[in-house]
Amino acid sequence: MTRADASERSDRPRRRTRRAVLAAGTAGLVGLAGCSALSGGGGGNGTTTGAGTTAGTETGTATETGTATGTDTAGNATDETTQGENAAAGEALPIEEYRGSGPLVQQRPSLSGTSIQDLPPLSGELTIYLGGGEGGLYTNLISLLERTYPDFEPKTRLAPTSQLASTIIQETSAGSSPADVFWSVDAGSLGVVAERNATVGLPQRVVESVPQQLHPREDWVGVAGRARSVPYNTDQLDRSQIPQDVLEFTNASVLQGNMGWAPSYGAFQAFVTAMRLLTSRGRTKRWLNGMQEQGVQTFPDEFLVSNAVADGEIAAGFANHYYALRVQAARPNAPIDLAFTQGGPGALINVSGAEIIKGTQRQQLATNFIYHLLTVEAQEFFATRAFGYPMIPGVPPVGGLPTIDELQPPQLDLAQLSNLQPTLRLMREVGVL
Amino acid sequence: MRSRGHLGALAGRFRGGEEDDDRPPAALVLLAGAIAAAVLSPIAPLVLRVAGVETSYALSLLTGSATTSVLANSLALVGAVTAASIAIGVPLAVLTARTDLPFRRFFTVAVALPLVVPSYIGAFAFVSAFGPRGVLADLLAPIGIDSIPTIYGFGGTVLVLTLFTYPYVYLTTRASLLAADASLPEAARTLGESTTGAFRRVTLPQIAPGIAAGALLVALYTLSDFGTPAIMQFDTFTRIIFVEYNAFGRDFAALLSLQLLAVTGVILALESRLGADRSGAYASRGARSGGETALGVWKGPALAFCLAVLVLCLLVPVGILAMWLFRNGGPGYAGGGFAFEWAVAWNSVGVSTAAALLAAAAAIPIAYLAARYRSVLSTVFDRATYLGYAMPGIVLGLSLIYFGTTYASALYQTLPLLIFAYVVRFLPQAIGTTRSSVLQVDSALAGAARTLGEGSTGAFRRVTLPLIAPGVLAGAALVFLTTMKELPATLLLHPTGFDTLVTYIWLVQDAGYYGAAAVPALVLIVVSGLSMFVILSQENTDS
Repeated sequence: MTRADASERSDRPRRRTRRAVLAAGTAGLVGLAGCSALSGGGGGNGTTTGAGTTAGTETGTATETGTATGTDTAGNATDETTQGENAAAGEALPIEEYRGSGPLVQQRPSLSGTSIQDLPPLSGELTIYLGGGEGGLYTNLISLLERTYPDFEPKTRLAPTSQLASTIIQETSAGSSPADVFWSVDAGSLGVVAERNATVGLPQRVVESVPQQLHPREDWVGVAGRARSVPYNTDQLDRSQIPQDVLEFTNASVLQGNMGWAPSYGAFQAFVTAMRLLTSRGRTKRWLNGMQEQGVQTFPDEFLVSNAVADGEIAAGFANHYYALRVQAARPNAPIDLAFTQGGPGALINVSGAEIIKGTQRQQLATNFIYHLLTVEAQEFFATRAFGYPMIPGVPPVGGLPTIDELQPPQLDLAQLSNLQPTLRLMREVGVL
Repeated sequence: MRSRGHLGALAGRFRGGEEDDDRPPAALVLLAGAIAAAVLSPIAPLVLRVAGVETSYALSLLTGSATTSVLANSLALVGAVTAASIAIGVPLAVLTARTDLPFRRFFTVAVALPLVVPSYIGAFAFVSAFGPRGVLADLLAPIGIDSIPTIYGFGGTVLVLTLFTYPYVYLTTRASLLAADASLPEAARTLGESTTGAFRRVTLPQIAPGIAAGALLVALYTLSDFGTPAIMQFDTFTRIIFVEYNAFGRDFAALLSLQLLAVTGVILALESRLGADRSGAYASRGARSGGETALGVWKGPALAFCLAVLVLCLLVPVGILAMWLFRNGGPGYAGGGFAFEWAVAWNSVGVSTAAALLAAAAAIPIAYLAARYRSVLSTVFDRATYLGYAMPGIVLGLSLIYFGTTYASALYQTLPLLIFAYVVRFLPQAIGTTRSSVLQVDSALAGAARTLGEGSTGAFRRVTLPLIAPGVLAGAALVFLTTMKELPATLLLHPTGFDTLVTYIWLVQDAGYYGAAAVPALVLIVVSGLSMFVILSQENTDS
């Protein structure tokens, strides 16, 4: 790759960004207008930014082809220079390879941010401890990167996130960990590992595109977010009947005997932890007791909470937002919609994130890998396949979800979510666990 | 001379009665001791961790109301599941071994198969079938029944655990029945006893050790199982230990684990006393197959009972898995495109085979010592191996991570350490079958070989070993099928990039992609089912 090529490339993102800021702005407005996330929102997005998906052809310039936006139609339009470069770095995959399908993903606006093509190629062996992994979706993303870079040899180790955190702590304290990267679906686990000084800091250029709150320090960076939400059954409830403040749920008579939660589920425990840290232990205890008096039903996990809402078994529940989206993607006619509470612990956004493990011999590759997770392509993958919140401003969430700003997430260092012990003691004390 | 039922016969263990013609060879004692010590070694890191906890804090944790209530819950669960397993397993064993039950050969194999269904899959299937808005509720709704008793809680947990663990009792009881002299109850009847009286006064004492051995495996499995109580929402030791580990509360979790092991110790001691009381129940080994008891009018109810068990234990889980596979909607959502690969199944079969072979080999010295030379030491070695069996997989896994990273970094995250973990967890199953085989071999045979000039090792290798081989093989098969479905230790200790059927199932199910879990779960059940045929086919290798 020549120097001229490199500068040509570095120019591209800037140009794209300008245009996409406009598109994202409109999408944001639509999101605000249609606060009811699932039903109207998706269509709204589609009409406003209907031209978005074909932005590449509209601008029609050669420089656009091969970039994230251009590749929408790049299959036949890729110019020869780009192709030549790709061969050297491995074949760049069009964004459709990263994008999901289905009713929630039909209309995507134009996207902006760093593209995989702007980054140096991944090459060599990399051991990734993958905590959670959303049913193999993360492994799918890794294999897309493998297809792009023939010399890249990722080795992934899958286990529950907290178990991997304990493992890494044990390994680093005994000498060194085989892990180069820890990619966890829960910020608390990332925080625990970082607290034990088992990580290496990430360079500013990697984390700068992500809101400060989603990488409180430089130890780790969020790659996809998930919001606390209230899935509700649209046959049984009207959105206006759902309180705006999660602390008010104990007083809502309409929810009496008609709510579900999953107290043994990690995401719920993180939410209670947030409540404890943001209000007080006593207030949280009153809330838990109040919900018990509301006759809340217990489920093993939040997917099943959302599923029960869609089935009408309960009218509403507490769950991460993407579970309801997954129910809807599989059953487009299910009477389920999402409500979000405003501010406070109910608006908590937890992230899936990554960090580099201390003692790695492959720090540069590890850094580059994490940078890849924050590219337009990877972010589009998280948005459209896992229905997660993208971390970079140039990629909007699917289905008309409110943006992170609109949710007004509480000011809370997500690493503190690892402070689970007192939460569990409290939950056990009141008998919900 | 060898009797039938080398089988799952964890049975003959208390039959005793072998004359201890000489003291055990020192090499044998040392070998057995070394194996027992190796199996117990994962407990050491637990003790070390707990030793670091402040005493007053530890006491407050242990005496807290939450802890005492999980203790009560766990004990109640163990008692209920064990009793229910006996209530199902013993009648099935008697029906298939001693009566003219129709389709007897079919039922003999079929009612043992629930053992191959992992309990977490069984529990999920039951929740899907009988839970709120489950299949049953959907079926009943049109006819006006809109509420069914809840499947969650104590009752559901007992039900599911019983249905997937009673085969332990079934297999061991059946083995004792086949090994026991069936002409004795006939003799009792000629002396004026009724059929039931003969069963109670003659057969029952004969098979009591077999029942006890199976009940012990059920009790300890119940204590260590995590999946079922978690899904059925019932608080037990393992559920709390799991939640604590996931919350980085490793001290509390270690403390609870030690308490769990203490409970295990108490159960083992209780069972020993029970076994000792029954040791007079000597089963003659020249088993003659007596006539079958005609069921008469009871044929219908007996058949219905066997069918009902099969429907609940096999049809429900397999049916629900098939439904997840084919139904779009409900909880059967297809996965995120994470393709199932057959390599994953091969990995499972490979490690399970290795674990089975190693466990079988390690079981021989301990079982031989315990069967041939009854002493305090041989009993202690034998019993010590049961502690590993009752240790929840996650506790064992974390202990071995500590061990591996601190003392054996070359072994860490390698297959040998993973296979060692399996052996620690499942060795007692192999020891049980091997021990009963050794008991059934006339020790005079080995003695004869020695008078003919063989050394004791040679006599063992050329005479005893071939005779006990079927029992050893049956033990290996039992270890194989339990290893196939082991989840928590596998997740923690597998080599990076080495995925198995259970880690795959965990991955997709954890994310709620139940549909994607169906194929690997069915593969797991079929492959493990094949090993069950190995276990039961040993019955037919009579000399």
